Amino acid sequence: MLGYLLRRTAWGAATVLGVLLFLFALFFLYATPQDVARRALGEKAPPEAIAQWLVNHGYDKPAVWNPADPLDTRLAEHLRRMLLFDFGRSDADDVPIAQRLRDGVGPSLSVTLPLFTLGLPLALSLALLVAFFRETYIDRVGVVLCVLAMSVSVLVYILGGQYLLGKLLRWFPISGFDPAPSVLLRFVALPVLVGLLAGVGANVRFYRAVFLEESGRDYVRTARAKGAGDARVMARHVLPNALIPVLTNVVVEIPFLFTGSILLESFFGIPGLGSITVDAIQSNDFATLRVMVYLGALLFIAGQVLTDVAYTLVDPRVRLG
Amino acid sequence: MRCALRAAALAACVIASLACSNDPYPSADANAHVLYMPYPEAPKTLDPQVAYSVYDHEVLSNVYETPLEYHYLKRPYELIPGLVTAVPEPRALGDGRVVYTFKLRRGVRFASDPCFALGGAGRTQRELVASDLVFALQRIADPKVGSPVLVTFSKIVGLAEFGKRLATLREDDPAFAALRIDEQYRRAGPIEGLNWKVTDDLKVTDVLDVTLDAPYPQILYWFAMPFTAPVPWEAVAWYDGEEGRDGFAEHAVGTGPFRIARYQKRSRIVLERNPDWYGAVHPEWRAPAATYPSEGEAGDAGRGLLAPAAVGRALPFVDRVEMRFEKEAIPVFTKFLQGYYDRSRIPKESFDKAASGGVLSPAMAALGMRLERTVTLGTYYIGFNMVDPVVGNAAGERSRKLRQAMSLAIDADEFLRVFLNGRGIPANSPLPPGLFGYEEDYRNPFRSVDLERARSLLAAAGYANGVDPGTGRALRLSFDTGDTSVQARLRYQFLVESWRRLGLDVEIAATSYNQFQDKVRRGAHQLYFWGWVADYPDPENFLFLLWGPMGQTRGGGPNSSNFADPRYDALFDAMKNRGNDAERLATIRAMRALLEIERPWIELFHPEDYALTQGWLHNAKATGLTVPIWKYYDVDAAMRAERRVAWNQPVRWPAFAIAGLGVVLLVPGVATYLRERH
Repeated sequence: MLGYLLRRTAWGAATVLGVLLFLFALFFLYATPQDVARRALGEKAPPEAIAQWLVNHGYDKPAVWNPADPLDTRLAEHLRRMLLFDFGRSDADDVPIAQRLRDGVGPSLSVTLPLFTLGLPLALSLALLVAFFRETYIDRVGVVLCVLAMSVSVLVYILGGQYLLGKLLRWFPISGFDPAPSVLLRFVALPVLVGLLAGVGANVRFYRAVFLEESGRDYVRTARAKGAGDARVMARHVLPNALIPVLTNVVVEIPFLFTGSILLESFFGIPGLGSITVDAIQSNDFATLRVMVYLGALLFIAGQVLTDVAYTLVDPRVRLG
Repeated sequence: MRCALRAAALAACVIASLACSNDPYPSADANAHVLYMPYPEAPKTLDPQVAYSVYDHEVLSNVYETPLEYHYLKRPYELIPGLVTAVPEPRALGDGRVVYTFKLRRGVRFASDPCFALGGAGRTQRELVASDLVFALQRIADPKVGSPVLVTFSKIVGLAEFGKRLATLREDDPAFAALRIDEQYRRAGPIEGLNWKVTDDLKVTDVLDVTLDAPYPQILYWFAMPFTAPVPWEAVAWYDGEEGRDGFAEHAVGTGPFRIARYQKRSRIVLERNPDWYGAVHPEWRAPAATYPSEGEAGDAGRGLLAPAAVGRALPFVDRVEMRFEKEAIPVFTKFLQGYYDRSRIPKESFDKAASGGVLSPAMAALGMRLERTVTLGTYYIGFNMVDPVVGNAAGERSRKLRQAMSLAIDADEFLRVFLNGRGIPANSPLPPGLFGYEEDYRNPFRSVDLERARSLLAAAGYANGVDPGTGRALRLSFDTGDTSVQARLRYQFLVESWRRLGLDVEIAATSYNQFQDKVRRGAHQLYFWGWVADYPDPENFLFLLWGPMGQTRGGGPNSSNFADPRYDALFDAMKNRGNDAERLATIRAMRALLEIERPWIELFHPEDYALTQGWLHNAKATGLTVPIWKYYDVDAAMRAERRVAWNQPVRWPAFAIAGLGVVLLVPGVATYLRERH
């Protein structure tokens, strides 16, 4: 297990290094800092102000090679900052990126956490329900609804939800965010509802397939022969055994709960980490964008390792080594 | 089990009732004297010496104050004293230099802030002194601050040199660079053109003499922009972004009518009344910038802007300004219709519904809403690069006729109708309405469509039917633009098609904005599309865009057409430093006549801003410049609360319908199952 984890971490480190070099090529060599400076300073900024901005932000250093001081290059600076998690300041407005990340985690979690904790039980119970009523009209209607739900783009849910539930029925504010406890719930309700609707179809269908496959196995017949009822068979025998494929689906998502949902956050105006990425793209804030891509890569690797570890916990037959 | 179910159902009901309201604000605020404003872009910085965007200034101008301000209602714009007691008059020194004397008000205080402890333990406040204004000007020169207006303020004798000295000292001596900022500035030596006296005598006002190396009357307008807002050195020294403190760009310490109560700029900004503002502490001064004006432009009274309830009253009227970050236009508009914003722009998608033909829809008017239209102090134009061999000066009379012909082909009215819902007025000269020298009845003979005349001009230029005799094919020109979006491409295509009617083959060269600017700097452009929005309300701010010495390719100035005509330059020199009198008007007319014939620009349009306001918002007048507007706004909170309730009754039956449908769907299945099991 330990050997496996070490090997996995080494692979992860190599991947991260690759991501960092790729980011460097993309954001330092391909895109020029002048673009960023002009966006940050506005259209009327004279060339002197642009030049000063480049100096103030360290973009005047040599890119890869500096004969005078090999460590005083943009590449060295980039690697040092990323690896030490010293992210520096935003290109757009000089706010420390670490502070922006701290500010964004709360709003992101306030949507992703309910979405995750409600979404998983909802999908599992609906899947159990349709699997339980397999071959009946409930099953068929359920599957048709699921296919329908998963075929519709998330954007349709978002805009439709805002229009129908926000504008026409006036149940929720159509967008916005406020961490004050008295109003937080009404801001979060609509994005969570939309997120649930958008995600539930695919999950229910997948889990149903898993459950159905499991319920055809020998141990299920044995359980029935022992006299266990349908409900008990589903809950006590099928569910735990179906967890492995469910886990693959679920554990990978956990690290990304922190980074939030890009679409939900930008459409609902939630100032989380997902919308930070979108804002950074729109405002040429490459410093923030680099950090977000880097963190995304780290979290993805973390998710993969977590999934592997979770296998061993759920299924004693799996040994990592 | 049953008990748990009941508890869950109860919890669900509570959550549903808590969540089920579209009111985005806490209910405790329902009757508060608060202004609700959306903002589409988060401020980049709150550093007044750096901030240069409308969104920065929207917040800044209410928190910081400048020596001078603009009269809220009068048009053309007029300067009024802000932090000073009178608008200074220039005094010539004989050697070409000019002095302005700024007399600061006594008894003005900065908003209380912990940073003032740097000036003495336990201190949370300080009075404004002349050296704070000097400090602001020094910051403009400081290369580390990176102010975008250094070039303009370098007209102050010795200001640029101060910046250079500072940079050298910092470079040579790391110990100097580590000193506190006020100490660095002190050691870098005085600025020759800034002389001030600070006294402890409360009866004597602080006086600052600003000496310019040459006459530049427009400098006063710059003293009405946030760049010259006095800044306490304590705030710059304390808010350095280290050890958990904010950076100065994120933390404002000003003297203004409001102070920042909350600054989470990616979701909301809250301003609250500054109890230490001089207008609040000394209403008896009846300072012009702290009292609602009693006169305005013609028609203001009819628009309710001179209501007796407001005139002469001490500002500000509202207790708080709640600003919410709203990137998209549609949610803002929807929330405006629900009564949750006091003011909104009209999204393109809803334009026809809300303000077709420039008139507010009857349905919205019935709800008490109003439409405000203001022409922005800006001009959009197609420019010719005058150093280009084909369209520029080198080709002499030939290129002049070509430019005239191309100007005659562009229909600005149609352009506005198709692309801007008619929001704008066609331009006949570089000067937008609202500026001295703009004359409404002036019609540029080359700015109305006349294809016949255009064709004959083309033929006279040697391009009969648009054919270049050199190649035997249509004359090929390149149209450089800095916008690659689909919408922009459609706009440019419209212009290209207009020229195609003359037989010309104009090709769009769309690049990124940066590449475009670079091209213009190198002079590698031929035709281009650009706009200019005024910094200050003086014709000089537009006419200098065509002044020879400002040539961009040669001198790096903003004259991107590289237009250089000695006659124009002489007229400009005569016009720029004059007061607004008959002779200035005559000079401007002469310049206009020259541009009419020479056509370095095809003036396209002056944009118009449409804003919707609610019936409960009073005293709202749009301004095209940085004006601290919110201190003048007032709201009828009771009317707002009442209408919000009336407009936002939730429709509940679909919830029951959906729940019913679920039951109908499930019950037969469960019943069948139970029957089979038995």
